Amino acid sequence: MRATIETEGEPVTASGAAQPRIRISRAGMRYDAIEVFRDVDLEVGDREVVAIIGPSGCGKTTLLRCIDGLLPLTAGELRVEGEPVRGPREGVAMVFQHFGLFPWKTVAQNVAYGLKMAGQRPDAIAAKVAQCIKLVGLAGFEHYYPHQVSGGMQQRCGLARALAVEPRVLLMDEPFGAVDAQTREILQFELLKIWEMRPTTMVFVTHSIDEAVLMGDRIVVLKGRPSGVHEMVEVDLPRPRSRATLTLPRFAQLREHVWSTLMADAIAAEHEVRQ
Amino acid sequence: MNQAPARFRRVTIAASLVLGAIIWQVAGWYTSNAFWAPLSATLASLAEVVRTGVLLRQAVSSFELYLAGLVVAVAVGAPLGLLLARVRWLRVALEDYILMLYATPMVALIPFILSIMGFGFAPKMLVVFLFAVFPVLYNTIEGARSVRPELVEVAKSFRSGEWRLWCDVLIPYTLPFTMTGVRQAIARGLVGMVAAEFFLSPSGLGQMIMMGSQNFDTAGMLAAILIIVLRGVGRMDLGRHLEGRFARWRSYSP
Repeated sequence: MRATIETEGEPVTASGAAQPRIRISRAGMRYDAIEVFRDVDLEVGDREVVAIIGPSGCGKTTLLRCIDGLLPLTAGELRVEGEPVRGPREGVAMVFQHFGLFPWKTVAQNVAYGLKMAGQRPDAIAAKVAQCIKLVGLAGFEHYYPHQVSGGMQQRCGLARALAVEPRVLLMDEPFGAVDAQTREILQFELLKIWEMRPTTMVFVTHSIDEAVLMGDRIVVLKGRPSGVHEMVEVDLPRPRSRATLTLPRFAQLREHVWSTLMADAIAAEHEVRQ
Repeated sequence: MNQAPARFRRVTIAASLVLGAIIWQVAGWYTSNAFWAPLSATLASLAEVVRTGVLLRQAVSSFELYLAGLVVAVAVGAPLGLLLARVRWLRVALEDYILMLYATPMVALIPFILSIMGFGFAPKMLVVFLFAVFPVLYNTIEGARSVRPELVEVAKSFRSGEWRLWCDVLIPYTLPFTMTGVRQAIARGLVGMVAAEFFLSPSGLGQMIMMGSQNFDTAGMLAAILIIVLRGVGRMDLGRHLEGRFARWRSYSP
C-alpha cells in the first residue's frame, strides 16, 4: 500500500474496499494449434504497477492486447473496472513498442488523437495537448513530424498521446524497447516522475529485468509452453523511485532473483538443438 | 561547393537543347518538306496559329477534354480503390476485370466506343477516362492494402469508428500512393486525349496534327506536336510536384 499518494478521489466500491482495476481469471489464448498462455490469474489494484516479464513468445504482449480489448481471450475471463472487456474501453490507453505515431500528423496532432476520438471539444483538446506535451518534455517540438524527431522523442509523443486521455489504466507494451540504451534510461526515470505526478494503474510489459524491478510494485514472470504465471515477485522498494533506487542492495537482490528465475530457462533454451 | 556542378548541369542542358535545335534545322534543309520542316518554318507556323487564335481555340478544346477525363478518373479511381481495398468480397469479385482492363491497350477499345457512343464529347471523355483511371485505381488499392496494421491497431485502441478510421488513417496513408497514380494518369491521359482526337471526331490539337499531315503542312503538324510535347513535360512536372507534396513522410518507418 502506498499512503503517500493523494490525488482526486478514485471510485471505490460501495463496500468500501477498492475493487481491482483489472481482474484476469483463468485466462487462456490460443491461435489454432498454438496455445500461447493458459490459466493466467492476475489482479491489478488501483494505482498499482505490475510489470510482466518473460521470454520472447511467452505472450506478454498478447495478454496486454487482450486487456486493451484489441484481442479477445479464447478462455477465461477478463474484467476491467468490474466490467467484462469486449473491446477497447474508455479509461484504458496503450503505449506501443513501435510508437504507432501517425507519420502525417505533427507531434501535437498525434497527442490530440485520442482526445479527438473521445469527442472532446477543440479548446479542451488544445489545453490538454499543451499540458501533456510539457509533461513529457516535448515542448518546442509540437509542430515537428515524427520522422523529424528522434526515437526517444517519438516515444515521448506516444506517451503523451496515452496520458492525454487521462487513463485510469495505462498499458505499456515494451515502450522503451525500440530506443537506444541511454535514451531508455532517461525515459524510465522520466516515466517514474510522471507516474508520481499522475499515478495510474499500469501494466508494463518488458524484456528488461532492471526495468521490471524499477517500475513494478509486483513482477509477473510468465514462463512455459503454453506459458503461465510462474512466479509473482513483490517489489518492496520504496517510492518515489529514481536513479538512487538502482543502488539499493534490495534492488540488486530482487534483480538477481528475477534473473535466476528467467535465465534458468533461457540458458536451457539456448542449448536446445534447433529442429 | 554545390554551385559549380549545378552550373555545369545547366550549361550542359542548354548546349544539348541548342544542338538539338540545330540538328532539327539542318535536317529540315536537306529533307523533303513533305516529311520534315526546319525548326524556323515550324516556329513560323506556330506564330501564325498563335496570331490567328487557332492554337488557343484548339488548345483550350483539348484541355477541356483532357481535364474532364482526368478529373472524373481521379474522382472515380481513388474512392473506388479505397473501397476495393477495404471490402474484400468486392475486391475479389472485381480484381480480374481491373487487371484485364489495366493490361488492355486502350486504343483497341476506341472503335468499340465509337460504335456504341458515336461522335461527340462524351465518348472522347470516356477514352481519356479509360486511359487515366487505372493507374489511379491500381495505385490506390495497393496503397490502401499496405496500410500498416499497427496504425489500424492504434486507431482501434483509441476507439476509432470505421468512418474516423478512414479519415484519420486510411485516406492519409493512401494519399501518396494515389498521387503516384495521378502522376501516371497525367501522362496517360494525354495519350488518351490525342488518341480520342485522332480516332473519334477530330478536334483540338489532335485535329491540327491530322490536318497538317493530310495537307502536307509538315510545319503546322510539327508545331502542334511541339505544343503537346511541352504540355506533357509541364504536366509531368506538376505530377511530380503533387506526388512529392503528399509523400514527405513516406520515408518514415519507425
